[in-house]
Amino acid sequence: MHIMEGFLPWQWCLVWWLVALPFLVVGVIELRSLLRRDREYLPLLGVCGAFVFILSALKLPSVTGSCSHPTGTGLSVMCFKPYITAVIGFIVLLFQALLLAHGGLSTLGANMVSMAIGGPLVGYAVYRLLKNTSVNLYVTVFCVAAVADIVTYIITSFELALAYPAAVGGVMASFTAFFVIFAITQIPLSVIEGLVLALVFKYILELKPDLIEKLGVFSKEQIESALASDAHVPEEKV
Amino acid sequence: MFSNRKLEILTLVGIFVFVILFLLVSSQSDHQFAGSDDVGSEKIAELTGRPVESFTPLIPQYVPPSGEIESTLFALQAAFGGVIVGLVIGYWYGQKKRTPDT
Repeated sequence: MHIMEGFLPWQWCLVWWLVALPFLVVGVIELRSLLRRDREYLPLLGVCGAFVFILSALKLPSVTGSCSHPTGTGLSVMCFKPYITAVIGFIVLLFQALLLAHGGLSTLGANMVSMAIGGPLVGYAVYRLLKNTSVNLYVTVFCVAAVADIVTYIITSFELALAYPAAVGGVMASFTAFFVIFAITQIPLSVIEGLVLALVFKYILELKPDLIEKLGVFSKEQIESALASDAHVPEEKV
Repeated sequence: MFSNRKLEILTLVGIFVFVILFLLVSSQSDHQFAGSDDVGSEKIAELTGRPVESFTPLIPQYVPPSGEIESTLFALQAAFGGVIVGLVIGYWYGQKKRTPDT
């Protein structure tokens, strides 16, 4: 989903940087106040960030015959909300821009808007929609992670389409072209990402239900019923 | 007996299907499995009618001299994440063992 260095006209680089910067600034402020309030959140923050690192390093083959990587931002946006997720995404994208030539400093703004801001924001909207319904908590995590992943690539397609409208058909035609390259490739990957992150969330919940409750990610009742349904069966086996 | 491991099984099945799909696609065609980033860049070149090489970096950047070095850096990135995950999960697990009531 990286837009490579040099492949975006400077005007668009500037636009996306300007969109991204406020998120980054608010994110840093939120992050500092969160950690000053309670160091207990630091390990969870580490895990959420670590999954962005791991998943965005994995370039997986897809049905379209090209490779792409998941984003891993779903966990972080549920636990720490979009602003802090923007900071985590920024760190990963900066690493890849500086050392790997995947994306670049001029396109970092655009890449942040897609992977660190836009995707997570839509994922967060999904989370808010499903949070207080009877939908199973793990299904919610799955949907958030998968949506944050796929939307990242839809936004990348959109950014490129705006910068490079097709001679015939304009923005929509080139959006379709980029959508086929990025988003279609991403569909199977986002399903896998959703499954993996739901599984990770299950383990976090088993070890640290109090932390998830304190952050208000899910209510006490939801957490208890999820844990109860997990723990139910071993008793039967005995 | 597996119902408390539903999610694990579902994930394994998902990964299994994913691998099968990959094997099918890669065996039946001559796909290059290039990165979608590069495919996207080629599309840009096609839309603008300029060759890919004519897109030069606006800000000079370090490019890993070979695929080997690039894969080292990607492995480091993933390993860093893996270390953190293992560390924290282990830390929580130890905490939980000490205080079995919570």
